[in-house]
Parts: sequence; C-alpha cells; structure tokens
Amino acid sequence: MSERAVRATTIEDFEEVKQRSLWLDAFERLVRNKTAVFGLFVVAVILFLAVFGSVLAPHDYLETFMRSGSQPHDGPTINWPIWESWGTDYWLGTDKVGRDIMSRLMHGARTAVFAAAITIILGQAIGITMGAIAGYFKGVVDDIIMRIVDVLFSFPDFLFAAFLSASIRTPIVKIIGDLKQQTGWGILDETIFIDYIILFGALAMVNWSGTARLIRGQILSLREQDFIRAEIALGMPTWLIIRKHLVPNAIAPLVVGISGAIGGILLLESSLSFFGLGIQPPAASWGDMINTALPQWRLYPWEVLMPGILLGTAVFGFNYLGDGLNDALNPRQIRR
Amino acid sequence: MLIYTLRRVVLFFPVLLAILFITFTFGFYAPGDPLEIQFGEDYVLDEEVLARLRTLYGLDRPFWVQFGDYVWKLAQGDMGEPLRVGRGKQSIGEMVLEAFPVSAQIGLASGVLLIVIGIPLGTLAASRQNTWIDYVIVTGSIVGSSIHVIVLAPLMMVITVLWLPDFLELLGITWNNRIPIGWHGLFSTRTILPISILVVTGLLGIVRLTRAGVLEVIRQNYVRTARAKGLFERRVVSKHMLKNSLTPVLTSMGLTLSGLVTGAVFIERIFAIPGFAGMGINAFQARDYPVILATTMIGATIIILANLLVDLGYGLLDPRVRYE
Repeated sequence: MSERAVRATTIEDFEEVKQRSLWLDAFERLVRNKTAVFGLFVVAVILFLAVFGSVLAPHDYLETFMRSGSQPHDGPTINWPIWESWGTDYWLGTDKVGRDIMSRLMHGARTAVFAAAITIILGQAIGITMGAIAGYFKGVVDDIIMRIVDVLFSFPDFLFAAFLSASIRTPIVKIIGDLKQQTGWGILDETIFIDYIILFGALAMVNWSGTARLIRGQILSLREQDFIRAEIALGMPTWLIIRKHLVPNAIAPLVVGISGAIGGILLLESSLSFFGLGIQPPAASWGDMINTALPQWRLYPWEVLMPGILLGTAVFGFNYLGDGLNDALNPRQIRR
Repeated sequence: MLIYTLRRVVLFFPVLLAILFITFTFGFYAPGDPLEIQFGEDYVLDEEVLARLRTLYGLDRPFWVQFGDYVWKLAQGDMGEPLRVGRGKQSIGEMVLEAFPVSAQIGLASGVLLIVIGIPLGTLAASRQNTWIDYVIVTGSIVGSSIHVIVLAPLMMVITVLWLPDFLELLGITWNNRIPIGWHGLFSTRTILPISILVVTGLLGIVRLTRAGVLEVIRQNYVRTARAKGLFERRVVSKHMLKNSLTPVLTSMGLTLSGLVTGAVFIERIFAIPGFAGMGINAFQARDYPVILATTMIGATIIILANLLVDLGYGLLDPRVRYE
C-alpha cells in the first residue's frame, strides 16, 4: 500500500515538472538576448529574400529597360537606358544599363546566401575530412596537412581567394566547355553558372583550414579514450570508427562557429565580386553592384550605398546571431 | 641577441626562395599561355610568330632554367618586364619604385595612427571598466571594424562630400569639399579619408588586446605598490601597467599589418590611389605572372621582416625574454 503511494507521488511529481530540453533552454537564452534577436530577424529577412526574392521582385533582374530622355545630363534626347530615378515603376531606380536595382538587390541576397550555404557545406566537408585524417593517423600525414593549414592561416584570406579564383577560371571554363560538348546540357552555357562554380570552389578552398584544425584537436583527444580503443580492439574498420564515432563526437563546437563564419563568407564573396573575380555581371552580387555603381557615386550616391548597407546589415545580423548562439549553447562560458 | 638576429636574417633567404619557387611554379604550370594572356584569348597569331616570340621571351626553355634565370636576375635587382604590351614601357622595377612608396606612406601613417589612437583608447576603456566610456569605446571599435571597407569607403565619401557641405550650408558655413580621390602626397587633404578608414577598420584588434592586457595587470600587486608609494597616475599607467600589457598587442601587429595590406587593396581601388596593393590586385586580375611574382615576393619580404621586428621588440618590452 505504502509502496504504491510512493510510486504514485513520484510519477505525479515527475509529470508536474515541465520537461526542459537542451534546445528549448538554448532557444530561451537566445530570445532573451536582444542583439541575437536582431540578428535572427535580419537573417530571417535575408533568407526570405533569397528564397522568394525572384518571385517578389517587381522586374526581372537581368532585363534592361530602355527609356527615352532619362539621361542624367542635359543633351540630346536619345534612347538611353541609364538611370531611371526612384519612382513607382522602379522603387529604387535602375542602374547604368537600366536594370531594376531593387530586383537586383533581391537577387544579390540569393547569391550571398547561396554562396554562404554551399561554401560552408563544402568547406566544412573538406575541413572535417582533412582534420579527421590528420587527427586519426597522426605522424607524417598529420604533419603534411597541418603545414598546409599553417600556410593557409598565414596568408590573408582575401588575397588567397582572389589568387585561386583568378587562376582556376580558365581550366574550369575549359572543362565546362568540354562537358557541354559531350552532354549538350543547356545550363552549362550560362556564364552565371560558371561564375558560381568558380567562386564556391575558391571560397571553400579558403575556408576549410580552421575547421580542420579544430576537428584535429578534438579527435586527437577523443581517440585516446576507452570507447575508441574498444572499437579498435573489436576490429571495427578504421573509416567506420572515424565516421561513426570520432566525427560525430568532435563536431559539436563547429555548429556554434558556422553562423559567425557566414558573415565572413558574405564579405569574401562581395569583396571578390567587387574586384570582378567572383560573380560577374550580368549576375547580381552586392559586391559587384557596389563596383559598377562606384564611378557614378557623386551623381547616384544611393546606388552605391544600398548594396553596401544591405551587405553591412546582413553581416551584422549573421555575426550577432552567431554570438547569440554561442552564448545560448555554451551557457557556462563566461562572457567578457 | 646579435647572433639571434643574424640567424633570423640568414634564414630569411631560403624562406624567400621557397616562396619564390611556389609562386613561380604556379605561374609556370597555371593554365593560360603568357602570350595568350598578352594578346588576348581571341587574338590568334600565326604559329610561327608564336614560336619566335616564345624563343624571344625565353618561354621555350625548361622549368629549372627559367626559374634559375629568374632568381639570378632578381639577385641583380632585375624583376623583369610585365606581360602586358603596348601599355607603357615601364619595367616591373620601375613600377614598384613608383607604387611602393605611396602604399608605404599610407600604411605607415595608418599603422602609427592605429598605435597612437588604439593604445590610449584601450587603456582608457580598461581603467574605466564597465562605465559608459568603456562601452562606447568597445562598441565603437566593434562597429567600425565590422563594416567592410567596400561599404564604409563609399559611405564616407558620400557623407563628407555630398551631405556634409549641404548640412553645413544650413548652418551658414560654406565649405566646398573636393573629391577625395587620387594621390597628391601624404599631407594633402585627400589622404584623410583613406587613412582614417584604414585606422577605423583596424582599431578593434588593438583596442581589445590593450584593454584585456591592462585589465590583467590593473589589479596586480606591483601596480598597487606603485600607487601606494605615491607615483603619479600617469607614471603608474605608462611605466608599470602599459609596458607589461603590451606584449599581446605587439604579437597582434603581424595580424594588423596583414589587415592593413588587405584593406589597402580596397582603399587603393576605391580612392584611385596608384599604390602597391592596387598594382598587385591588378596583376591578379590580368594574370600578369611576372608582376604577381614580384609583388608576392616583396609582400612576403615585408611580412617576414615585420615578424622579425616583432620578435626583437619583445626583448625591448620584456627583459625576461631571452634569445637563444
């Protein structure tokens, strides 16, 4: 009798305590952080623009609009497509070949998010593989991989990415040309598609080194633990140990870093495009929009400023969200 | 210390040779014939003419001969000719001599300003920790350095050239601002904007490290002793606190330098300053490998030298450092 009563109360107690999961806790901490909420909001808007931007855009981002007499200076009225100013047709005006700026900004969001997502996935994949190999096999393999990482670390990111994207352009264009001849796929004709491939390749090559270093450190300490030794003793294949047990255990610190890393990638993408080494016109990228608008900054200041402001806000958003996530997921860490 | 310095200087040459070798290999095996780059990809020349041009430029020789020849010429101070033809007759050496002093002046001025502004700001923030002064300095430097140069520079140009005169006119002041583009010597008004942008974007690292360093020593016993024995606050800060907290700041100068170089790439493009960083990025864009080689080598030399200076500087700041 008494035993049953005790059991009943424990169950009731158990039911009365609301279950708290790790993620719910983290989310509550995140929401309490005002800058993180701002970051979350900005990221949500950018993601929304990236997904639905081309549907919502008032015009096609590649289409040029010819208007007569819209020349900035006095002169003969000719069909000159340049620079429609703000108005109901073009909310933010048109650029120097008469493309709607707002639609291009929206498409720029897609480029930026696309670049960030693919670069992160590629870069993390390379970094995790390299770091896992270096950490597990140690010795010569470790030395070689880590020296490469050291070299990459000592070189400024932007210059390395610029060098890569400049030097891999010709072979990639050639390979894609061959592929096109063999398969006849229409998509391979698009210069935009080629630009994307080159840019993502270059950015991923720049971004894997930090991940590799982190994963290597984690795996170096993990592989000495008993459960890995047990697996080695049981005769589990090496790649299965790495894939099933080492990498999943080592991956946690990466998740926190990713949102912060996205900000850096957005900047790198825009910087490369700014120098014409990344996305090139007619494709839309914020960096390229700044570059093309720069010569006319005195006549059309907003054309230079808008992509810049958008880029700055996006980077702030991702960084704030990253910091917030970091605090929320590592509550024990003392914030300075 | 003399032996240490000498050894570092001697070690510098093999490192430089290795860097040269890697860059040269990239240039040699990279896709794209130099002649094709020179004449443009659509420009198809007669095969015979191409072969003769190749012999003329020595491009038909084996890799090692070309590399050896390049290094030998470099040792004599000849950096070769840029690939592009018909656009000026300058050799790379002349291009560097023209462009490098411009960038060096901007870089040095920004570096000096960074130290002169950053260290006092960091110290101030630390000594007024958790007051509004601290928050303003830290937040300000975070904001300043998170805005990218390609965003900040056009914004500042628009504000200072287009909006500020209009605003001042409302106040009754006529101020005709000139366009801050081009290079007219370090002390012309046109360098104010580029240099201040470089300083603002690089400020965060130095402020943060100085602040952390000062916070670390501010509660140490010897600082308390210095105060207790009646030293002036100024002397406590400069002699006891700063000297002990500057080592991490010095370490970060290498990073600051690489930040200045990267920043200069954008600054020189946006403000149309004919500098060294711009020359390098133009070479990247044009795949002008002789120029890429020369700029990479000079850049590497500067970074290696700066690291050496940093290592030697430890000894000046901290007598406990021993060179072996």
